[in-house]
Amino acid sequence: MQEKLQAIISKAQEAVTSVTELAKLDDIRVQYLGKKGELTDMMKMLGKLSNEERPKAGQIINEAKQMVQGILNAKKRELDDAKLAKQLSEETIDVTLPGRDVDVGSLHPVTRTLNRIETLFSKAGFDIETGPEIEDDWHNFEALNIPETHPARAMHDTFYINENTVLRTHTSGVQIRTMENKKPPLRIIAPGRVYRCDSDQTHTPMFHQIEGLIIEKNASFAQLRALLIEFLRQFFEDENLQTRFRPSYFPFTEPSAEVDIATDLFGDGRWIEVLGCGMVHPNVLKNVGIDPDEYTGLAFGLGVERLAMLRYNVKDLRQFFENDLRFLQQFK
Amino acid sequence: MKFSENWLKEWINPQWDTSTLSEKLSLAGLEVDGAEPVAGQFTNVVVGHVLSVEKHPDADKLNVTQVDVGEAEPVQIVCGAKNVVAGMKACCAMVGAVLPGDFKIKKAKLRGVPSNGMLCGAPEIGLADYGVDGLLVLDQDAPIGQDVREYLDLNDMSIEVDLTPNRADCFSLQGIARDVRAISGVTLTQPFEIKEMAGSSACPQAVTVSESQACPKYLGCVVTDFNTQAKTPRWMVQKLERSGLRPLSLVVDITNYVLMELGQPMHAFDLAKIQGSIEIRLAKADEKLTTLDDKELTLKEDTLVIADDSGAIALAGIMGGLSTSVTAETNAIFFECAHFSRLAITGKARKYGLHTDSSMRFERGVDAMLPEKALNRALQLFTEIAGGIISAFNSTVSEADLPKAVTIELRRATIGSRLGVEIEDAQVIEIFELLDFKIETTDSGWMMTAPSYRFDMSIEMDLIEEVGRIFGYNNLPETPVLAPMTLNELPEDVQSLMSLKIALVQRGFNEVVTYSFVEEAKQKLLEPDLPYVLLQNPISDDMKAMRTSLFPGLLQTVAYNQNRQQPRVRIFETGLVFYKNDSDPTGATQVPMMGGVIAGQVAASGWDEAERHVDFYDLKGDVETLIRMSHQLANIRFEACNHPALHPGQSASIMKDGKEVGIMGQLHPSLVKAMGVSGNVYMFQVRQDALMNMQIPAAQAVSKYPEVQRDLAFVVDESLSAQALIDAVVSVKSDIFKAVELFDIYRGQGIEPNQKSIALTLKIQHAERTLQDEEVEVLVADILKAAKQAVNAELR
Repeated sequence: MQEKLQAIISKAQEAVTSVTELAKLDDIRVQYLGKKGELTDMMKMLGKLSNEERPKAGQIINEAKQMVQGILNAKKRELDDAKLAKQLSEETIDVTLPGRDVDVGSLHPVTRTLNRIETLFSKAGFDIETGPEIEDDWHNFEALNIPETHPARAMHDTFYINENTVLRTHTSGVQIRTMENKKPPLRIIAPGRVYRCDSDQTHTPMFHQIEGLIIEKNASFAQLRALLIEFLRQFFEDENLQTRFRPSYFPFTEPSAEVDIATDLFGDGRWIEVLGCGMVHPNVLKNVGIDPDEYTGLAFGLGVERLAMLRYNVKDLRQFFENDLRFLQQFK
Repeated sequence: MKFSENWLKEWINPQWDTSTLSEKLSLAGLEVDGAEPVAGQFTNVVVGHVLSVEKHPDADKLNVTQVDVGEAEPVQIVCGAKNVVAGMKACCAMVGAVLPGDFKIKKAKLRGVPSNGMLCGAPEIGLADYGVDGLLVLDQDAPIGQDVREYLDLNDMSIEVDLTPNRADCFSLQGIARDVRAISGVTLTQPFEIKEMAGSSACPQAVTVSESQACPKYLGCVVTDFNTQAKTPRWMVQKLERSGLRPLSLVVDITNYVLMELGQPMHAFDLAKIQGSIEIRLAKADEKLTTLDDKELTLKEDTLVIADDSGAIALAGIMGGLSTSVTAETNAIFFECAHFSRLAITGKARKYGLHTDSSMRFERGVDAMLPEKALNRALQLFTEIAGGIISAFNSTVSEADLPKAVTIELRRATIGSRLGVEIEDAQVIEIFELLDFKIETTDSGWMMTAPSYRFDMSIEMDLIEEVGRIFGYNNLPETPVLAPMTLNELPEDVQSLMSLKIALVQRGFNEVVTYSFVEEAKQKLLEPDLPYVLLQNPISDDMKAMRTSLFPGLLQTVAYNQNRQQPRVRIFETGLVFYKNDSDPTGATQVPMMGGVIAGQVAASGWDEAERHVDFYDLKGDVETLIRMSHQLANIRFEACNHPALHPGQSASIMKDGKEVGIMGQLHPSLVKAMGVSGNVYMFQVRQDALMNMQIPAAQAVSKYPEVQRDLAFVVDESLSAQALIDAVVSVKSDIFKAVELFDIYRGQGIEPNQKSIALTLKIQHAERTLQDEEVEVLVADILKAAKQAVNAELR
């Protein structure tokens, strides 16, 4: 019997070795372990054995069954693994091909710069105000202490719609509109497009400004200094940014100053003018019904393109308005 | 304004080098734009005396000269200049000299003749030649052998300051010197003495001032019997040149010199050409005047003129007239030195297209006390150079119309509160003493009287600015603004424009910024019926009309990029458009818009799919994204429309609450060429306010019970819009009818021509229990009935 079982196992082993398909493997299982399988038949013969012989014989048949089952299981694992390996191999793709998605576009560098400035000032409690771009003489000039006869009018290169209506030459008019409508104290910035009748390598007839205004009791020039120095250091992310305030002149501020910066980041340490500022002229406060003895104002105006050029290494102002996609897409 | 640094040093010399001076001036508010050496860099060029000139034996165009350079023996120099003559004084570059451009002078032989140096023309030592072809001719009294740099005072810088309109007092050497004194504390010395030059004989030229307000002071005098051959001395020419003024003739040069030195514009008339008496009056309507630069002007009645019996002979404070101008033949001169009020001159020159040194100063203001000093100074210079007999001064002064000295109170406390720093009294007093103010102490501060040249002083803040300026803005502390900590508003029902922009960016759009003024013709093609606002003075003809939509700029950008091998364009812009509206105070309704254009392929890189050109529905998806972001897709409807810029079969009005808030569609095929674009272009524009109001969510419980879906395919007429069918379906109101979605459009086999099948999914759900089949069937039946009734839709 032992010999017979051994022969069956060897035969099964031989049969399994040559199998390459799972179905065939099942045929082999049926042949040996199925209801009419060879080992099942052996089991059926147990009844003919004596009570003494039967347990031992049962044990060795069972062992043989387990061995055959083991051979079958091993082969099945082998075939499963091969099948999976084949599937995975067939499904292999070139992962370096581009993904299937739309391209991501870009925000205009002016927007990006405006947003950065707005965010900085919003965090300090400034509200954002806007105003019309076709503006009347009062808001663009007269209320800002620039009467008809003022020499500064000639310096503004104004686009006229008619005698009393212009394209705003600065965002300062929003100061007036805000102060006309809201009570101090005030902290606002006013971003937007402005227009000057001038076009060459360093001037475009339209550009962007951000106007800032604080109206408080006892606001001082020293505070204006602190605010703008901190702004410039945060904007350029340079703690060592050098600044200097130069006396200047704007009809709507007094004292007035222009601010220059110098940094190792660009410009080889030269002084570069970046903004104009000052304390709101008492006449301007009076024009909007604010008592200049009770309140004082701090105001500043930033050229957005100028800051964008410095921040993003843009060499030619006109690129901002050519809208060449190869330029714009650098601002993703 | 440009000035010579050495000239300034004659007035005041704080021993600063050029860069220190420039920085100090800039930080005092006189912004220095640049400083340039007045001559090129060169060495070893001396004054030479040409002793003899002989023809070169071997070259027609060359001469052999012997030049005395102050050494024992004259040097022999071969020279090609046409104007070389024996006896002249010229600049002689010695052997070993280095001229601008690192040009080294060596011993040489020219056509066999030894030459030991070079005689120089002006350009060869970096000076202007004013059209002289040949050697720079030096004065006869030039000391032989002296270094030319020293003799011509060439170790000098021309400094350019950009003056702000309030600092007209600095439009002269005197003015700059005063500010240098204020910032350095160094003594200022006027380098000449003013003498009374008026003669005793009466001025033969009668003068009447009819506009005393515009001309509160008019001084005139006549000079005769002078040397008409007298030339402007070299030192004066040099100073004028270094101030950016071109030397012209002695009389003009002297008036320019006084202008630069003291800041007072003057004018000289040829006495013989003045007819009768002079009157300072306003121009008569359409009065003509030919100015010095030979332009005939038709004058306006608001223009102040100097007139004689024949009519206007000069534009007061702006420019003289040609008919009475001084020429080489002039032998009697009428000098005018007047004060014209700022208001009388402002803006006038510009109206005639003129801009002169004189008008620029009078527009910004000139010291009213200056004319006497300036006239005396000019006459002193003139008679020193050309001699002559001076008449008495004919002066007309209206004291009442002259600017008054201003006294302003300066409060100690205001200085501290406005500048944010306490400044000691002694320092305040020192600052105003240096600024020439008269100071009177009061309990709370001082009464300050400004000198007549600081006509920009009128209020206390002017004085505080002066304190800050001289104290130094950069010496002020940095004090943080201390304000109550309040939180800004953060309205949740307002969509931020930035979120909308970023949504488009994430869908592949690039933001552009185009000019708000566009080409009129293109705007008319796109929106022929909309009135627009025009600029009076556009920068060019194609930037004349204020845009009534974002389309002209967007399409121009598409064209620009398509012409640069960028066929796939996805761009958007935000900004105002301007609808002409005479009832608005600004003459226009200014509406913030968001718009975009797409063209070219759908995908940037389509390596595994067929390439597909964008179409209407691609853009509609983009627009719907914007609308979905404000959770208001249900409130917005797209309706087929007609717009002159758009394809009539592919254009939609974007409607909200029954009002059009935007449009979208394909650019009308007949406009493609005119707009310079190629291929099909799809564009949209929506009012920002329609996209920006959001609803704050009020959440509903999610039903726990199963949702039932029913797919229904309807057969409808081809012309019926999907929206009309959906409208009919959703007109059936039921609590369990949650949503309808369109999932297929089918034409072809099984469907009659001129018909189409529209397949919808109905979503049906009860909030509190599982639905019974019968309930669903009742609803579906109602919907089928409604669809049949409203749009004649049959179930397929």
